Amino acid sequence: MISLIGVTKTYPVGKGATVTAAHGIELQVERGEYLVITGRSGAGKTTLLNLVAGLTRPTSGQVLWDGTDLWDLADPQRSLLRNRRVGFIFQFPSLLPSLSVLENVVLPTAFGPAHGKPGARERADELLHLVGLVDKRAAYPRQLSAGQQQRAVIARSLVNRPQVLLADEPTSDLDEQTEMEIIDLFARIHATMDLTILMVTHAPRLVTRSARSIEMADGVIVA
Amino acid sequence: MKIPAVLIVILAILIGTLPYFFNCQYDGKALTLENGRQVPMKCYWTAQASLAVAVPLLVVGLLIAFSRQKETLRALALVGAILGIMVILLPTRLIGVCQHPGASCNLVMKPALIFAGSLVISVSLVGLVISRRSVE
Amino acid sequence: MTLLQLAWKNVVGSAFRSWIVFLCVLVVTALLFSTVLVIRGAQDSLRLVQQRLGADVVVVPEGTETQVETALLMGQPVAVWMPRENLDRIAGIPGVAIVTPQLYLASLANAPCCSAEMFLMAFDPQTDFTITPWLSQNLGHELGLGEAIGGSDVFVPYGEENIRIYGYEIDLSGNLERTGTGLDTALFFTFETAREVAQVSRTKAVRPLEIPSDSISAALARVVPGADPRLVALQIVHDVPGVAAIPSSGLFQTFHRQISGLLRSVLAILGITSVLSLVLVGLVFSMAANERRRETGVMRALGATHGAVLRSLLAEAIILAFGGGITGILLAALAIYLFRNLIVLSLGLSFLFPSFPSLVALGGGGLVLALAGVTLAVLPPALRTCRQDPAVAMRE
Repeated sequence: MISLIGVTKTYPVGKGATVTAAHGIELQVERGEYLVITGRSGAGKTTLLNLVAGLTRPTSGQVLWDGTDLWDLADPQRSLLRNRRVGFIFQFPSLLPSLSVLENVVLPTAFGPAHGKPGARERADELLHLVGLVDKRAAYPRQLSAGQQQRAVIARSLVNRPQVLLADEPTSDLDEQTEMEIIDLFARIHATMDLTILMVTHAPRLVTRSARSIEMADGVIVA
Repeated sequence: MKIPAVLIVILAILIGTLPYFFNCQYDGKALTLENGRQVPMKCYWTAQASLAVAVPLLVVGLLIAFSRQKETLRALALVGAILGIMVILLPTRLIGVCQHPGASCNLVMKPALIFAGSLVISVSLVGLVISRRSVE
Repeated sequence: MTLLQLAWKNVVGSAFRSWIVFLCVLVVTALLFSTVLVIRGAQDSLRLVQQRLGADVVVVPEGTETQVETALLMGQPVAVWMPRENLDRIAGIPGVAIVTPQLYLASLANAPCCSAEMFLMAFDPQTDFTITPWLSQNLGHELGLGEAIGGSDVFVPYGEENIRIYGYEIDLSGNLERTGTGLDTALFFTFETAREVAQVSRTKAVRPLEIPSDSISAALARVVPGADPRLVALQIVHDVPGVAAIPSSGLFQTFHRQISGLLRSVLAILGITSVLSLVLVGLVFSMAANERRRETGVMRALGATHGAVLRSLLAEAIILAFGGGITGILLAALAIYLFRNLIVLSLGLSFLFPSFPSLVALGGGGLVLALAGVTLAVLPPALRTCRQDPAVAMRE
């Protein structure tokens, strides 16, 4: 489904210097896989997810979705792919502070062809029920705990019925009990929704639940 | 709600003080009765009444600045709007000002009160809308 | 959820920033609109009074042109005289169809009716074409002895039945429409009434009203169809010694120049203020865009295109510009309307509040300018933001 072929990504860091965040990445992800990406901080894990989602252009190499190079597409098509086929869970708090929980969950529908489509709010309510936040739909992000915010982000990532879920350290700011709840939620979602999941984490317990794991170090897949 | 509150406080101060300086009594004019006694013209009384409306308006503004409860803010905004209406009615209907178009009460006090009253009503209505977002 | 709803939520969510932009636009729009209103009102009143006079050529004693114009525009009485026989000389000039005399007088200061001297204008009902058409349209009869018409701001003092001028009781029969000029505080009556007032004033007034015999203050002339008023004016000056003849197109030139001068200076200042405000607005949006880098990165990750992010940012700016602009225009219009008499007094200009269609057109123009200006100010930071690499934007 998703192929990275010889992908390298360097970032300029000022005064002509660059940093290589990913180097010669070769990766195949099949439909329905649950892939965990581990590694120390700065290993290039987030960069890998950004490359898969087309959020950053590779300096060299190709990122293929069903055989099509993402960067052969124009920005509108690439954005549409992200909107329809990808759900994203970020490492940082990513709910928009000026929107309520429900408005945040339906936000992706504002950007794609689902805009104006009836049923978006109902779908959002269904997902909030799934993640256990239906009584918080009118609350604002500042009124939620870190765990609740992350649940809301998970609900948002699923609103457009994506095929791929990209999760970047989804449990990094959470206590142990909440982390387990989120992990269980992911397992349920993977089992019931026919999703391909790529998850970045450095929590060992998450690795055992997955079908496959890879390890990154210094921008390279080492294992 | 801080900005509407500050605006209402400023307007209240203007409403209470400006008429004092722009009425015919301050300009040294008065009505002379048949018995020779001098009494203030009605613009003087309008100025007095403006002070009477400005004081509760000032209190409303201060309360809005320090309140956080949605229901309280809504009630205060409503009271503010009503006081704004009173400010407009004082020089136009309730008491009035002098007839002469060149008198300072006509040139400055009356338009200033109508303008300030309109602003008070507008700011209060904006406050009423914003207060829907405030949370206990 | 639409982009507009998202933009509105962001506007309400960043209250402090939104207020700054809103107030900037409000203040600049209000100032600009006020200036344009005052200038337009001054020009409109000049045009109206020229129309109201109805004359093609106004003839006054030589050297008194400015005084007479000031009397007509600002209501400040003037005492100017020329021989009555000038009337026959003017009437005899080729191109002159009809000529009518006027007397310019002043009431006493501190008369019961008024706090200052009032401009009194006497006309000859046999030849007049300024007041008489109004009389037949609105009163249905000519003015009799002891009757007068007032400008829009003339009134009978409370408790009285008539206006007392030099001890003479004048019956105020009606009021003319507002012109925004000194004619609004003037009183108009016939020559016969003027002579009567002068007669009574000798015994009843503190100071008698003196009307020099066989003298007039001004002569208003209408030219025959097809004649050029400027050429007729030149002929009058040539043939009648000691007079100045002003064609109606040349009336109030001093005031026109004053208005233009005022317009230039104020607009220059406002131009600078506007530019500075727009720079501030651009800076505020730049700061906002920078603080919300991550947010825009998230929006891109969720599927927003470059265009959608740009539209969302511009929508925020336009909402604030529209709100600030409309509020500024409404406040300015209300303030100018309420304080119009004070404006006349302070600026020494005549002023007529523009009609509703003019107001709407001017207001619409002002709003478009506000929207265009803010959009221009916000475009650079908005473009920078939407073109950013989303991954870079989301990095700490």
